Amino acid sequence: MLNYPFLISHDGEIHMSTQSPLHKNHAELKAKFTEFAGFNMPLQFSSIKDEHLQVRKSVGLFDVSHMSNVWITGKDAEKLLTLTTIEDASKIVKNKSQYTAILRDDGTIIDDTIFMHLDDRFMIIPNAGMDEIVTDWLNKKAKEHNLSVKVENVSKDYVILAVQGPKSKELLQKMTDVDLSTIGFFGCKEIVLADQKCIISYTGYTGELGFELQITPVEKAVPLFNKILGIGKEFKIKPIGLGARDTLRLEKCFLLAGNEFEGGRTPLEAVMSWAINWDHEFIGKESLLKQKEEGSYQRLTCLECNEKGIPRHGNEVKKDGKIVGMISSGTISPCLNKGIALAYVDPDERKIGSELDIVIRGKNIKSTIVKSPFVKKDWISTQ
Amino acid sequence: MSNEIRDDLKYTDSHEWIKINDSIATIGITDHAQSELTDIVFAELPEIGKLVKKGDELCVVESVKSVSEIYSPLSGKIVKINEKLEDAPEIINGQPYDDGWLVEIEIEKKDEIDALISGSEYQKLI
Repeated sequence: MLNYPFLISHDGEIHMSTQSPLHKNHAELKAKFTEFAGFNMPLQFSSIKDEHLQVRKSVGLFDVSHMSNVWITGKDAEKLLTLTTIEDASKIVKNKSQYTAILRDDGTIIDDTIFMHLDDRFMIIPNAGMDEIVTDWLNKKAKEHNLSVKVENVSKDYVILAVQGPKSKELLQKMTDVDLSTIGFFGCKEIVLADQKCIISYTGYTGELGFELQITPVEKAVPLFNKILGIGKEFKIKPIGLGARDTLRLEKCFLLAGNEFEGGRTPLEAVMSWAINWDHEFIGKESLLKQKEEGSYQRLTCLECNEKGIPRHGNEVKKDGKIVGMISSGTISPCLNKGIALAYVDPDERKIGSELDIVIRGKNIKSTIVKSPFVKKDWISTQ
Repeated sequence: MSNEIRDDLKYTDSHEWIKINDSIATIGITDHAQSELTDIVFAELPEIGKLVKKGDELCVVESVKSVSEIYSPLSGKIVKINEKLEDAPEIINGQPYDDGWLVEIEIEKKDEIDALISGSEYQKLI
């Protein structure tokens, strides 16, 4: 069961913090914990760098139970998703999932999410702490459009595990009779894994071959977590914390809702155009079309540092002394061993190869605009 | 978790250690501090010749996910910085009391040394 310990923070306010059902396991594995979107989750177990490289080179196990689970059922489930996301849900066949975004009327992103098409129902995975906001929004839109659909927030009933890395498939295949090769990229399916029923999807947040598992009831996740670590020993599997989860996603230019959507950003600004299916009507579409026509909006841009220094969220980006953008996410890349950042940059200053300054503690650090992602698919073969 | 404390050093409650040698103070961060920070990936050191007051920001040490300011435990002039840290900041993790030192200060106010705490007092804080 989930616990709700009251925490007193430095500001003296009482905050509620949710622990994962696997909290005890993490503590036994000597995790350092961090607060993230109201959840108390492992930041790291050994070292962020080691955990990061483990996932790039072999396989790692993540508890991502802070992410949300919402069931959408009923005869108009598909219609509701089509109305409220930038994807036409009727194009996503059974046993496939899709990365998409839910927009406000003004085109800004409420949340990015994956939806899975399972039999005659859909599960969506909103971000940490977004479950109620997304559930309320979908219910409100269903009512406004007279849709026959049930939207049910089941986040507390599920543990989400992510098994990520080039050896993830080989490892999980040892635990199930289902041929995992039949689950293609972004495929999803209900299977039995080590005697435990779960939903498996070929998805992840690391840019590596990897799978995510939705497990209910939550108690069943404890033996499964231990089993994956046990069987994974031959691949030197490690538990991975949120620290490495962040560096892994940033090297691949995947978006982090709290950072990249802060202040209200549209999918055009967040360079998610590839995920927009324009051939259907959806909430926010008119605003996006208008923005597209006007054209003069900042866009997410990849910056690689040429000097020592680590860009961080909120750093200014300058060109010839003039502010042209702002860092939304920055870190040191464990694979490249240099500072990397995503920044919202003015449309005229985004040419690949051109130099911009990142202002870190008052100092200008030179960076170059590079193509996404920072770490290419074949990085491991260059090692 | 490692928490080595050396008796021949002075400490602060903000986890700096200080080694006094006549008018020169060598400053670093404690074993406990490096262990809490883990994976130090960047150290931004001050310029030689800079004057600092007790409590001023002396340098910045960054791990993958954190940025930590190190405050000067004493007033004085920066006379030496540990240049090795520029290319190998992880030395702070491996040898916080030896090769992982940060800066040397020429002490301006000797009476400030009295406010520093001993190893056994620091032990109680961590």
